[in-house]
Amino acid sequence: MGILVFLEHHGDELQKGSLGVLAKAASLGDDVAAVLVGAGVTALAAEAGRFGAGKVWLCEDDSLDPPTPQPRVDVLAQVVADGGYDTVLFANSVLAADVAAGLSARLDAGLNWDLADVESRDGDLVGKRPALQDSVYVDVGWTSAPRLALFRAGSFDAVPGGGGAPEVAEVSPSFAEHSRGARVVDQQLEESSGPSIEDADIVVAGGRGLGQAESFTLAEELAKALGGAVGATRAVVDAGWYPYAAQIGQTGKTVSPKLYVALGISGAIQHKVGMQSSNAIVSINKDANAPIFEFSDLGVVGDVHEIVPKLTELIRARKS
Amino acid sequence: MTRPSNFPPPFRASDHVSEPADPEDERIEVGILIVGAGPAGLACAIRLGQLLEESPDVAERLGEVPVALVEKGKQPGSHLLSGAVVDPRALRRLFGDRVRLEDIPSYGPVHGEAVYLLTKRAALRIPPPPPMRNHGNWIFSLSQLGRFLAEKAEEGGAMILPETAAETLLVSHGRVVGIRTGEKGRGRDGEHLGNYEPGADLVARVTVLAEGTQGHLSGVAIDRFGLAGDDPQVWELGVKEVWKVAKPLRHVVHTMGWPLRLGTKYREFGGSFVYPMGDDMVTIGMVVGLDYRDAELSVHDLLQELKTHPKIRKILEGGERVGWGAKTIPSGGLHSLPSRLHAPGLLLCGDGAGMVNIPRLKGVHYAIESGRLAAEAAFRAVQRGETPATALGSYDEAVRESFIWDDLHEVRNMRQVFGRGFFVGGALASAMTVSKGRIELGKMRAEPDADQPLLRTDRAASYPAADGKLTFDKLSSVFASGNRTRDDQPNHIRIEERVPRDVAELWARMCPAQVYEVGADAGDGTVEVRVAPSNCVQCGAITAKGGRLTPPEGGSGPEYTLT
Repeated sequence: MGILVFLEHHGDELQKGSLGVLAKAASLGDDVAAVLVGAGVTALAAEAGRFGAGKVWLCEDDSLDPPTPQPRVDVLAQVVADGGYDTVLFANSVLAADVAAGLSARLDAGLNWDLADVESRDGDLVGKRPALQDSVYVDVGWTSAPRLALFRAGSFDAVPGGGGAPEVAEVSPSFAEHSRGARVVDQQLEESSGPSIEDADIVVAGGRGLGQAESFTLAEELAKALGGAVGATRAVVDAGWYPYAAQIGQTGKTVSPKLYVALGISGAIQHKVGMQSSNAIVSINKDANAPIFEFSDLGVVGDVHEIVPKLTELIRARKS
Repeated sequence: MTRPSNFPPPFRASDHVSEPADPEDERIEVGILIVGAGPAGLACAIRLGQLLEESPDVAERLGEVPVALVEKGKQPGSHLLSGAVVDPRALRRLFGDRVRLEDIPSYGPVHGEAVYLLTKRAALRIPPPPPMRNHGNWIFSLSQLGRFLAEKAEEGGAMILPETAAETLLVSHGRVVGIRTGEKGRGRDGEHLGNYEPGADLVARVTVLAEGTQGHLSGVAIDRFGLAGDDPQVWELGVKEVWKVAKPLRHVVHTMGWPLRLGTKYREFGGSFVYPMGDDMVTIGMVVGLDYRDAELSVHDLLQELKTHPKIRKILEGGERVGWGAKTIPSGGLHSLPSRLHAPGLLLCGDGAGMVNIPRLKGVHYAIESGRLAAEAAFRAVQRGETPATALGSYDEAVRESFIWDDLHEVRNMRQVFGRGFFVGGALASAMTVSKGRIELGKMRAEPDADQPLLRTDRAASYPAADGKLTFDKLSSVFASGNRTRDDQPNHIRIEERVPRDVAELWARMCPAQVYEVGADAGDGTVEVRVAPSNCVQCGAITAKGGRLTPPEGGSGPEYTLT
């Protein structure tokens, strides 16, 4: 019995999303372990301990540095067998989704997908899955073990639980022949100056109300002053004012920063579903009837072109 | 005077006809190919399953996949929307004693009905005109019915390929030999993305087009084989919502009049419906002929306006909107049907061929019946010793001998007379009904919807502001349709992008999904039209009013479940 969490790392840094899931798992029970696969993971075990892993399974192997899913399925299948885990949790990413699906097939285990939360109820786990365009949560369960779950990005805060040094175990699985068949030909990093919008604690997003592409510098300057990332609505991405990678909403990214600043955004529901779980929402819009004011914590009716430069100025002055 | 048809879209039907392009060993070969998992296509697949079960030798000759069906939506039902009060006789004929009507998901038979003539504040109850009497008809969600029929079709051995658009008609030596599916994974400028998939040739002995209203390849086939009818096809646009309500509605309601205007010059033909869906849901919709002239007319907003009427508001009070959708309805009737419903290797059925009875507001049972008849003709065509051309031709005869033809003949001029205004049209329509269509008024010509000159009357001023509870803006509606189409795919809508302001505003107002926006003034009397194709719910109104809808990447568009 116990929960295993698949941790993802980029370089020497553990991904915030998977640490969030680990922290959540630690709040559910005592027997929580993490698994780390790749090159240089031994050094990351202690960090996993801080977020609640009592035990860390390591598969330190330079040949596993490229993020291919199949060898990781082999590792996880082995760990589940050796450790007797009845629950395996993943934080959604391109890699984790592939690994979760592969593991589900390998173990003939049920995988609940796209969960936003999980809780323990009468000794059983109950997942929460958003449905009907995120307007309701559906309780989902598992009919057999092991139970697999993949959580939406940003579902949990990565808060260190203050655990001690974890027990470390090495795992050396036998790889299936097909597992090593795929290789990574090339990896390219997308250039970006600040934090990514999914990871940023502060997001400054711009909408059609900015008036023109050039006005996005207002959002960029404010984001820089606040130490945040810049997001955009679909309308401005459609208009070519800002790249698709920054699009927040139903067909873009889902973010839940501590502070979300909406500049000239009307707040159509397609945008709302991508940012409604932000801790604090501040909106500036000329139109007092804009729907965004209905779900803002602080709403300012006014012209972004007048307010934002002064706001940026004030924040800079306060910080220096 | 400005007419949308003066600004034709950059679209040529001939670009969507080709010889098979894949090498012979890479083509996907099926026996009979059906395009569109709606009531027509699914009925066709179900009937073929029944026939092939009785003749395993024929099934065997048709190869590994005797019957395949392609559907552009996420799943069968995703793109289905209708009223829908359905005349159940076609379902009974299709299933015989294999499936009882009671075992098909529905909201039961109609228990009573009321027709109202509305003014802004009042509602005058009038006796239901004979064609609108619905005794013996059943209430369905067409989307749910589609999912059920798809299960039955699969049980009968049909292979359903969802998320697959039929993009090109494959024609070889003058005969339709299948379709080519749409590509997937192209970026906005047509560039290949990481998940790019080319289209594939699906070749078949018989291809049945059951694409529904504004069918892409149906239009292409009508052009390629010269099948246009006596009259051009015309359409209405229906926008509907599904509501969870606090108290049950007992009967079906139709309204005429407000918020439409009755004057002849406006040409605002249409009305609304409110149907119960069990005890806790109702569906409410507004249908307006697309031969309207006012550049500011918006069926979406007229539906919002309608809901503010005391009579309607009372039905919805304490309720919540749970679904939304929009679709065009072919309304030309008999004279607008294709001159033939078959071409070499090809059959046309259902709404795609225009089989709708507008005075009775019915078409689903014609779709099912024509799909069933198409199955029988296609089955004959693949028999040993049959001449395929004669066998497919027998489909036209069968349709002419069916109730489809009798019904459509009876009401053949009814839609056209409403071009003469509500009261004159109403009187003529009554005369036709009473005489069972025997009265000859001479044939009345229909004009293409896009030929109507535009006028301005400040119509939009009356549309209510969205309150998010009773009335909604278009983007919220698109959201409620379940549409989550990838934003960075190529634009699938063909329009002239520089048009007079009146035409641009016509499109912007007309579109229930906020696809068009009036852009910058070009300084030469035209404006730029900005297009947000991922909002599109593929209703087809743009094709009626001067543009051309083509299928986007398979799996795009709305995901209707209750409509």
